[in-house]
Parts: sequence; C-alpha cells; structure tokens
Amino acid sequence: MNVTSAGVGASPPKRVHNSTWKDVAIANGSAVSIALFFIVVCVVFSLVTGSFLTTPNLLNIVRQSAPLLIVAAAMTFVITTGGIDLSVGSVLALTATLSAVLLQAGLPWPLVVLAMLALGAAIGALQGFFIAYERIPAFIVTLAGLSVIRGVALLITGGYSIPVEPTSFFVNIGRAWFLGVPVPALLALVVLIVAYLAFNQTPFGRYVTGIGANTEAVRRAGVDTRFMTLFVYVLSGMAAAVAGIILAARLGSGSSNSGQGFELDVIAAVVLGGTSLFGGRGTIIGTVLGALTVAVIGNGLILAHMSPFLTPIVTGTIILVAIWLNFRLFKGATRSR
Amino acid sequence: MMSDGETYRVRMTGISKRYGPIQTLDDVSLNLKPGDVLGLVGDNGAGKSTLSKVLSGAVIPDSGTIEIDGKAVSFSSPADARAARVEMVYQDLSLCDTVDVAGNLFLGREPRRHVLGVPFLDNRRMHDQTREMLDRLGIVIADTRLKVENLSGGQRQSIAIGRAASFDPSVLIMDEPTAALAVAEVEAVLELIRAVSARGVSVILITHRLQDLFLVCDRIQVMYEGRNVAERNIGDTSIEEVVNLIVGRKFTARSARASRDEGIQP
Repeated sequence: MNVTSAGVGASPPKRVHNSTWKDVAIANGSAVSIALFFIVVCVVFSLVTGSFLTTPNLLNIVRQSAPLLIVAAAMTFVITTGGIDLSVGSVLALTATLSAVLLQAGLPWPLVVLAMLALGAAIGALQGFFIAYERIPAFIVTLAGLSVIRGVALLITGGYSIPVEPTSFFVNIGRAWFLGVPVPALLALVVLIVAYLAFNQTPFGRYVTGIGANTEAVRRAGVDTRFMTLFVYVLSGMAAAVAGIILAARLGSGSSNSGQGFELDVIAAVVLGGTSLFGGRGTIIGTVLGALTVAVIGNGLILAHMSPFLTPIVTGTIILVAIWLNFRLFKGATRSR
Repeated sequence: MMSDGETYRVRMTGISKRYGPIQTLDDVSLNLKPGDVLGLVGDNGAGKSTLSKVLSGAVIPDSGTIEIDGKAVSFSSPADARAARVEMVYQDLSLCDTVDVAGNLFLGREPRRHVLGVPFLDNRRMHDQTREMLDRLGIVIADTRLKVENLSGGQRQSIAIGRAASFDPSVLIMDEPTAALAVAEVEAVLELIRAVSARGVSVILITHRLQDLFLVCDRIQVMYEGRNVAERNIGDTSIEEVVNLIVGRKFTARSARASRDEGIQP
C-alpha cells in the first residue's frame, strides 16, 4: 500500500538536520536556562561567602529543601495537566499538627505516617473530584481547600504548636542521617527518581502531558482523563502529607502556622524549572533545579549576612528574569501557531 | 438501497441528540456494509460531525440504537468504540502538540513493558513501529521524536489519518480528512480510502469537496438540519443533484455548473 511517492513533508535536499548541541539546548531551553541560573547563583555565593561551598552547608540545604523538592515534584504533574494546587501549604500544616497530636495520643509512629498519607490522599481525591468530575476550576477548588484545611489545623491546635516527644522514633524521619546523608534528602531523592520515571517513562506520565496539551484528544484516545486528573491531586495531597511529616519530625513539633506561603514557593520552583502554567509542558529535572535555586538563594543570602527579607525580592526577580529569558532567548524552538 | 442479504457492519437507527434548544440529530439512520465507502454530506450544522461522533463514542445520543456486525452496542466512551474497532479521524485532528509523533500515533495504546508489575512505555518498540507505519503509509517525517507542534499542517493531518488507519479498524470515519492538504496529499488520502475499503474496512467520509466523493464513494447520504434527506448510489447521481440536496432547494451552483460546462464546450 504505497500510497504516495510525492510525500507529505521533507523534500529530497535535506531539510531536517542532525541536531547539534545548540538545537538540543534550544529544545530544552527552559531546563538549560534554569541550570545556568543555578550555576551562576552557586558560583556567586561561593565567591561571596567562604562557608557556602562546604559539605555541611550543602547537606543542610538539601535537608531543608526536602519538603519543597517532594511537593514540587508532585506539583509538576498537577501543573502539567493545566491545573494548580494551592492547598499544599495547608495540607502540610494539617498533617504536621495531626501527626504531633496522634503521637501525643499514643499511636505508634508507622500508623501515624500511614494515616497522614491516607489523609493527604483523601484530601487530594476530594479536591480532584470537584476539579475533574464537577469541572470547577482547580484554582477555585484548591483556594477553598487552602482556606478550609488551614482552618481545620488551627481549630485542632487552637493556634498553639504541639510538641513531639524527642525520644520518639518519629523524629528520625526529619533528623537522622544515613550513610552520611540526611534522611529527608534521601526521601526526596527517592520521590524525585520515582517522579522522573513516572513522568517520562510511563503511560501515566504521557497522559498527564497529553491532558495538558489537549484533554479531548486524550479522552478520544480511550483514556479515562477524569480519573487521571483526579489522581494528580491525590499525588500532590500525598506529597504535601510527606512534607508535613518530615517538617514535624525535623522541628519536633507540629504547628498549624507552618507552611504559610509554601504553595507559592512550590509553584515558583516548578515554573522556574520551565513547566508551563498553561499545561502540556513539564520537566522534573527543571523542577529539581528550580527548587534547588530557590533554596540556595535563601541559604546564600543568610550566609552572606544580608537581610533575610531580601530573599523574596531576589527570588521573585529571578523568576521573572528566568522566564523572560525563556521567552526571548529560547524562542524559536517551536513553530508559533 | 442495497440488497439485505448479509449483515451490516454498521446499523444506526433512530439516532437523536439535542443540545439545549437545538435538535442536532433528529431520528437519523445510517447503514454501512463491509467495504462500503459512504460519503456523508450536508451544510455546516447539518449534523454530520455529531452523527459520526456518536458512532465513535465521543458523543452519547439521547436515543437510538447502534448495531455493529449485527450486535447491539452502546458506546459510553471513545474507549468502547475503539474496542469495537471503530476509528475516527476528527476534524480538529485530536493531536497533542507537546507530545512526539510516536506518542500521538500510539496515544491510548502505547506498547508497554512491565518492570515489577509497573507498566513502562516501551519507547524503542513504539518508535520502531511508528517508523514502519509512516513508511507503509508513505508519510514523510524525518524523526518520530519530533513534537507534533513542529510539523506542518499536512504532516499533522497525515498523523491523524495514519493513527486511525493503522490499528486494523473495521470502521473508519474521516471528518474532513483533506481540509489542510495539498493536491498530491489529497490524492494520497483518496488512495488510502480505496485501499482500506478493498481490505473490507467500511469507511464514512465527511467532506465538502464533492468531487472527491465521486472518486471514492459507493453511496452518498445527504443530511439537512439534523435529518436524513436523501441517499443515492454514486452511479445514479451528479454533483449538481447533490448540491441541490445539500442546500435544500433548487440551486444552480456555480461549482456544479462549471464542471458541466466543461463537458459541453469543445
């Protein structure tokens, strides 16, 4: 069935060239530009402060940024479907306080961890139901979630922070070291590897990208797009629960005020990494670099004895500049339509 | 009509669909035999696309029955229709721009390999099979890893057609498959329709290019404002008659007259 010899695309003189490193750089423009930013920020802080580029400090950065990395990985899925989850900071606060409360009530720690994961999944499923099946915009559903879930955390604790017994094994989740690396960083590494594989190598990751690009096309291809959409919110809810557990374990207490503005840091990290807020384009590698950039800026400014209040200013500026560079420098990677 | 000896590949009867105040489909029927090529024509808004989407599972009708090979089916999603080997090329192509060529061709039925029970994409098999399919269909795309957003309109349309035709369909529905194509590419699509119908695939072709209908169709069904108005064997009709049926009145269309004048003039 040789249908045509006329062909549909390229004509005999070669129109498609073997991709050079430059083409590869442009095709992965967002990841390259955030990688450059990350390197520049690291070099600057290494030169300005003597203590930045030391093993203890670098391990401290990954330990502190573990919650951010874990939730940002899940948020990459959410944003790639064209959605958003504003409730992650509140879920973090609720799970941090509830785990402290349950430990105080005498529940064994593995049970507490499982209960918190289930709670995060349930919250994500509920929000996902309204988003995927009832077609309410994700921004509105999770904005309501942000408010309600934080409210529940405040109600449970009355605004006080609940201490965790320092002798409990639970605190090891946030404080222990394993093979010279902090346990939270190892947890983050595992989550990131799983997220990377799921995003790039599984049908689920493919459908997440497809849903962001053209939901109807994926539905017509016979995929249950509503369940897939619901499921990404289950993932972000569970990731926020993991982050809450790690935070409560590291700080040794659960505070209903923890994670204020956390959702904005997470979204900043994801967007900085090159994932499109319009959906259809996401990268886990970029998200990792974005989250680490946000973390390094915060850490470096403190080491440089600058005012910590500069952190949000610098972070915000870098987000704008990085994305502006993406638009300008690396434009031309795709046909405009 | 044709003789009623054998079973129909597709038998849709009494299909109705209403969107708010608009009765998009009103008691429409459609019959198709194995290897039949049916041209479905009508003005914009006549209900052609909706009727074909009912058959592909993308739209659920308010009433009516569908039989495939004599068995009553009820499609509640496109997945059901795909399982019954009904494939459709949608007018908007239904491609994911940020997914690569192979990913779009295999969307929803990616080859998988299981590692510890977890399904992973079998990328190498997917790209190899994509290359084979494109070659078999004569579609020239240099790299199956190109994202679809980087392709031309004709290449995109070729992928949409290739996707529907490549997975052994028993019914192939094409909604305006030639809209974005150049002359040679249109010929290729018509040739593809002939080839698959010769293999016994039933084809429904929706197009505004009436001349194409006369090149590949066995029958033409005309719809007007959500109803069937006429059905003709291709040998018993002319472009002029089809035009009149489509617009619903006696209409001396220039496009129809031109071809007749050509015939008359020396």
